Amino acid sequence: MNSLLRRFLMVEWSGILAAIILGSALLAWLSPAFLTEFNIYVMLRSFCVALLVGFAQMVTLAVGQMNISVGALGGLVAVLAGGMMEKLGVPMILAIPAAIAIGALCGLLNGVLTERTGINGFIITLATASAFTGINLGITQSIPFYNMPPGLVAFGSDRFFAFPYLMIAPIIATILLGLFLSRTVPGRHLLAVGGNPHAAELSGISRGRITILAHTLSGTLAACAAILAVAQLGSAQPTIGSDWLLLSFAAPIIGGAALTGGHVSVLGTTLAVILIALIENGMVLAKVDPYWVQFVLGALILAAVWLNRWRAVKTGTD
Amino acid sequence: MQLSIEGVSKAFPGVQALDKVSFELRPGEIQALMGENGAGKSTLIKIITGLYRPDDGRVMIDGQEMSFQSPRDAIAAGIGAVHQERNLIPRFSVGENILLERLPTRNGLLDKDAIHNEARRYLDLLDRGIDTHTEVRSLSVAQMQIVEIAKALSLETKCLLMDEPTASITEHETEALFTLLKRLRDEGASIVFVSHKLEEVFAIADRVTVLRDGKNAALGEPMSTMTRQNLISLMVGREEHIVNKPQRSVDTGVVLEARGLQTSFGHRDISFSLKRGEILGLYGLVGAGRSELARAIVGAAPITGGEVLVNGKTADIRNVHQALNQFRIGYISEDRKNEGLILTHTIRENIAVTIWRRLAGALGLIRPSAELDAVMPYVERLEIRTPSVEQKVGNLSGGNQQKVSVAKWLAANVEILIIDEPTVGIDIKTKAYLHELIHEIAAGGTSVLLISSDMPEMVALADRILVMHDMRLVGEVANDRRYETVSNAIMNRIHAVEEERSTATAG
Repeated sequence: MNSLLRRFLMVEWSGILAAIILGSALLAWLSPAFLTEFNIYVMLRSFCVALLVGFAQMVTLAVGQMNISVGALGGLVAVLAGGMMEKLGVPMILAIPAAIAIGALCGLLNGVLTERTGINGFIITLATASAFTGINLGITQSIPFYNMPPGLVAFGSDRFFAFPYLMIAPIIATILLGLFLSRTVPGRHLLAVGGNPHAAELSGISRGRITILAHTLSGTLAACAAILAVAQLGSAQPTIGSDWLLLSFAAPIIGGAALTGGHVSVLGTTLAVILIALIENGMVLAKVDPYWVQFVLGALILAAVWLNRWRAVKTGTD
Repeated sequence: MQLSIEGVSKAFPGVQALDKVSFELRPGEIQALMGENGAGKSTLIKIITGLYRPDDGRVMIDGQEMSFQSPRDAIAAGIGAVHQERNLIPRFSVGENILLERLPTRNGLLDKDAIHNEARRYLDLLDRGIDTHTEVRSLSVAQMQIVEIAKALSLETKCLLMDEPTASITEHETEALFTLLKRLRDEGASIVFVSHKLEEVFAIADRVTVLRDGKNAALGEPMSTMTRQNLISLMVGREEHIVNKPQRSVDTGVVLEARGLQTSFGHRDISFSLKRGEILGLYGLVGAGRSELARAIVGAAPITGGEVLVNGKTADIRNVHQALNQFRIGYISEDRKNEGLILTHTIRENIAVTIWRRLAGALGLIRPSAELDAVMPYVERLEIRTPSVEQKVGNLSGGNQQKVSVAKWLAANVEILIIDEPTVGIDIKTKAYLHELIHEIAAGGTSVLLISSDMPEMVALADRILVMHDMRLVGEVANDRRYETVSNAIMNRIHAVEEERSTATAG
């Protein structure tokens, strides 16, 4: 029994999984509304954007960088997509790829600036975050684009029993990202650079190119999250992304990512987002003031990091 | 002050740094502490100054046994030191750095005038050119060293330990320092002076203690009875367990050639050639510029002049990626923790990092089984001791870590391998194993450029030995595996250059 528990503890996402199971059981017991089909649908739907946001930060953490501009970049992509579709009449099939490409370009810009100037990526993305938000507000004057194509809105709200169609995107992203990091050369190189940039460079890996790749990927994922958010809301709000920053760090870190780089967990991040969705849902069901959700999220990050540290020390995997 | 060290031992994981070492310092003398790199001089200094605690043995001051828990205790007991590493705070002023432990205050606030006046007094003993208001980070390396020395002097201790204080300062400043040290000695201070430079030791020391492989090779011998030759042989010693490989003369084509290389580190006129299957040694003291040269060759640092030829063709190597994939050159860094390995990653990942590109198959995916197949032979061949290749490298012993960083480059299957200090901090058994392996690698046709400060290692492995000193190649020594002749030839070469230079500047 003891060794079974120990084995379980060795798995880094064990704590989160335990929390999810306990939390679900508790909510199911306390609230009859919890296990209804509609409530599960609502939870899963809120999970979709959050997961991609978490992944967007996770890839920069993997290479040992940070992307403070995830939210600002997402907001910009959302209004550009909305503007293209509503004001310019660009068909959805072109507008969405174009908007995602713009997100990738913004990420590329972050990467190239970080690499060429040698300035810390934290500062660069802090600056570009402000710039992206500025463009966003300049275009929209804070007024959302409400006329979104019906197909997109349907994709964002339709469901198959409790399963929202929106969830197809994060499922594909999870699989691709998992494969990318564990089985492809650039994915491995990304983690190697994050693990020890000097050693990676002396092993023949181009640190600069890999850093740029990570930022570009981060931009692309944030852009995908933005499109999902537009679909989910049914309108392109300029405020999309404004509350992503904390979440973007919370998910990968609770999921076991090393802030120093080189180690992230796709599965851990996914479970962390499920846990966050569960907590938010539980607070709604318990009619807790939504403002307190922020507080709980902060406390949760601290608890998760502390738990992980305790686990690492206990199992000797530190 | 009478300082005696009796039978002190200190072990670090994988190395016995000091093995029952004794040392005795009298009032009013300057004693030199000598030995090769890694002989244990710095460890001894750190024990005396309370940075390390000995595993065994006693430190006595004026007949009383001391047990220092921290450098503060040592300072309180009257021991001041200039360490090899810089201990200055870059953004503090020169004055604040000198008086850091006891900054004068007035009404609870720092007394700036007192700080600078006080600091000035000590600084003036050495160099009037440094302003005490300057931030330390804007000083030159030599000036920082002067500040470091002034800081130790300001403690006004009865005992002063100086670990290579002259390594980076000018001739002129060295003279000022020596005059000052002699005056302090005549006033009754006890001074320990660590230096690699024989001339300096003969110029200033009264007695000498020599360490070799963490043991006493000489204990407080008067300098008057010493010649430079027997000092060198005391340091270098006789090597008992040399791998008895016959001398080889490699007579194959040249694979790597340097012609008049210059680098931004200050290398000038570096020319040499490395033949197929040859082990070419590159010997020099710490700071001679060997690792920097290696970095420049593999593209990790810029070459500013001259050219590198690989297999007879000019090779413009701009980064390690190119060195590895286009020219098949690998570099095993001396600093395996910071530059060789990714400690938080597994053995499998650390070895495969150089070959993922080759392993990627359909859709660019790496098959885990293919990766394992590529890695396992090296884990077995190098006898890397681990329960699983999924073990994090950070959890391995130093010897096994070094095997992983070698395995990575063997897996990469390079033609030219630059190996930098392969056995630093590694136990004797693994060391012998790695030596055997390097012979094997060369016998298999890989050309090896071996950088080492370990003379026995050099003599056991290299076919020819290049001698580097102060960013230049100053000679080439054929290796007939006779330890004493080869090591004397090398050391004489280095000291001859030093001498030529000092007579040139004097004249």
